[in-house]
Formats: sequence, C-alpha cells, structure tokens
Amino acid sequence: MNELRRAWLITLKDLRLEFRTGGRLLAMIAFVVLAGFLFAFALDQSQVAGRDVAAALIWLVILFASTAGAGRIFDAEEEEGAFRHLLLTPVSRPAIFLGKTAANLAVIWLVTALAFISLTAFLGVRDTGSPAAHAAVFLPGTIGLAATGTFFGRMSRHSSLGDTLLPVLTFPLLVPVIFFGATSTARVFLGRPWPEISGSARLLWAFAVGSVFIGAALFRHVTDE
Amino acid sequence: MTLEGQGLVCSYGPTRALDGVDIVAGDGEIVAVVGPNGAGKTTLLRALSGERRPDQGEVSLDGSPVSGADPGWRGRVGLVSHRTGLYRKLSVAENLNFFASLHAVPNPRNAVAQALETIGAATLAGTRVEALSRGQCQRVALARTLLHDPDILFLDEPFTGLDPAAAAALETALRARRTAGSVIVLVTHDLRRCLDLADRVVVLQRGHKVHDGETDSADPVDLLRYFTTTAADPS
Repeated sequence: MNELRRAWLITLKDLRLEFRTGGRLLAMIAFVVLAGFLFAFALDQSQVAGRDVAAALIWLVILFASTAGAGRIFDAEEEEGAFRHLLLTPVSRPAIFLGKTAANLAVIWLVTALAFISLTAFLGVRDTGSPAAHAAVFLPGTIGLAATGTFFGRMSRHSSLGDTLLPVLTFPLLVPVIFFGATSTARVFLGRPWPEISGSARLLWAFAVGSVFIGAALFRHVTDE
Repeated sequence: MTLEGQGLVCSYGPTRALDGVDIVAGDGEIVAVVGPNGAGKTTLLRALSGERRPDQGEVSLDGSPVSGADPGWRGRVGLVSHRTGLYRKLSVAENLNFFASLHAVPNPRNAVAQALETIGAATLAGTRVEALSRGQCQRVALARTLLHDPDILFLDEPFTGLDPAAAAALETALRARRTAGSVIVLVTHDLRRCLDLADRVVVLQRGHKVHDGETDSADPVDLLRYFTTTAADPS
C-alpha cells in the first residue's frame, strides 16, 4: 500500500479523534481568543496603532497555541498504548510523521484563522491587506510549526520534563518562522507589493520543507526503542 | 518456519530484564512463557516481536535476522499486549478498519466482521471503545491481532478479563492458528491453561531461563515451585 495513503489514514484518524475529544482544540481556541482580548487591553492604542503590532502578536499567539497543543498530539496514542500497535503495523515511520503532522497542521490552520480574525478585530485593524498574500505567508509558516511541533511533541514524551521541555526545544528553532512570518504579515497589512514579501515567504518555504524532511527522516529515533 | 532468539540481553538502566535468554518456537507450536512478576516475560516478547532492539543477542526467523525496522516482518506479526492498544474515542469497527487498512488487508470491512465473529464480538462493532468493559476491550484487541492473518503471534496475558465463553473462543482460535502453522508465543500466569494449550513451556526468573521443556512431560508442581521460590533465588 502506498505510504502516502497510510499517512492519510493516520491524518483522518487523528482528526476524528481530535474533534471527538475536543479538549486540545478547545484549549487552543480559548487561548487564542483570550490572548487577543487581553492584548487589546494591554495595548495603549492611542500611542501604538494596532496594525503596527498585529502581525507580531498574531504569530506569537499561533506559536504559543501550537506549542501548547503539540504536547498533547500523542495523548490519544498513549492512552491505551495504541501507538505501540501503530508502530507494529507495516506503516513507515516517515508516513506516521507525515500523517500526524498533517492532522496537527489542520488544527493549527483553525487556530491561525481564529487568531487572525480575533486579533485584527480586537486591535481594530480595518484594512488587513490581500488574503492571498496572507495565505502565501501563513501556509509555509504553519507547515514549519506543525512539523516541528509533531517531532518535538513526540520527543518530549520520552523526557521526565514532558511538556515543560517542549518550548525550550522548539522556541529557539522557530525563531526564523516568527521573524520571517511576522515581518511578511506586517508588510501584507501595510499593502506592500509582493516582491517585498516574496523573499521572506521563500525562506518560510525553505524552513517548512526542511522541517518536514528532517522530521520524517529522524522520526524513528524518537519512536523506536 | 522457526523463530529463534539467541543470547537476548535487554536492560532498563542498571537492571537487566533479560540476561542471555535463548528461545526457539517452531511453526505449529505454542510456546508458553511463564514466570513470576518481573521475570522478563514481557521484555522477551517485546524483543522477539521487534518492538525493542535487544542490547545483545539476535532474533532470527529461519536463520535470517529479523528486526522491527523491517515492514515485512511487522506485517507478519500479531501482538496482544497488557494494554488494549485501541483508540477510546473510536468505535470498535473504526479501530479495526484503521488497523486493517494500515496492514493493507484486502476488503477490510469483511476482515473486520470476520475477526469480530471469530472472537464472539460481532455485536460490538458500532460501540465506542470507551463504553466497553475490560473483557470486551480484550476481545476487540484480540480481533485486531487476528485481522491481518499474522503467522507469528505474540500474546501477553491474552486471557485477562475474558469471560469463559470468550476464553474458550480464544483457545479455539489459537488451536486453529497452530494447526495452520503459526508460531505462537504466549505469556501467561495461568499454569493450568498453559499446560493445557501450549506445546512447550519456558520459565523465566529474574531475566534468566530456568526451564524449557515439553508441556506433556512438565510437572505442574515443579513449575509452581518456580513461582513460589521467588525471584530472589533463580538457581
């Protein structure tokens, strides 16, 4: 059987579990909405325009929410020891990684959309720029977040520090995503032409592709004993 | 077909769970592994199935080394473990369809129905696993193990939680597998069932093999002694 089909089956299973369990998704959604709400109060909008800081805050909220969620990606797998049996099927480790990354990505997209809507609303950003340009920036950025979160979410399972370890491992690695993501999104908010943004978007794609390939190649080291 | 573990050593930190264990299981043979708690039975099963790479020693099938990294090997293996290995929020049928599809079982729906029928759990197909009793979960776990028609079975306390009817159904299924030529390694604490069902019995104590012989010639009193002499003195 095609490994991509197996990865897809894992994605579908994960999403089904995600929506039936709801806990992780609800926690992430609540965090995003509350963060946007609090930022609106924390920011003196008479001194700083919401549009000037919205991009940075959106990316930070997505980063924090996705990292918090990454620690729970393997909860359903470990609950009754199902991951052990998944590993004993003929499915390859890269396919498991891709399947779980894709499911994580779908959740992160939901969080991203919500973060974008709530923060632009709470910060009073009226003109948000081209939706297509935003999509072209968020797509590679969130792929990078999803792949990194899935890999280190698994790795943190082996540590007694658990979820505490996750931000320590991932935040330094995700500096490029935050930097290029936030600067690109800020430029889209300002209505800058695409050539001013495409360089950063290309670097986000490079990070996304690199994190997916490296994660897939190394995943067996964090799964197999 | 002969499955062989030679000189298997597995450690958890400073503790040696297995210390140079040799074991052989042929086709059409049920080998029972018994021993007191902490003897290394589950670790032995994990090493044989390829779930855990032994620190030393080798597992081979017909003389060729096997490894959990080989998808071909994993496709031939069926495992029942302490925990059910099922997704609680999925229904029984969803769980089994998922695993059947990953194993590339032809016509997974039929295979699922047949596996549930074999283990007497056909009526549970639409029920979520979280709503099942421990015994029902164990039945479903067994059905999942038989789905892809594995010719090498590793069973860790498979009778736990089963009612007499389900236990009898499992015994029948195992005997049928043995007749079909499967290699079956069974970890159990149930000496009566072990002697009744298995062809050979291997006794472990503190990671060492202390007995390996035909069940026909095994003395139940002798076997029981291995449990009561405690793990402190394997000799």
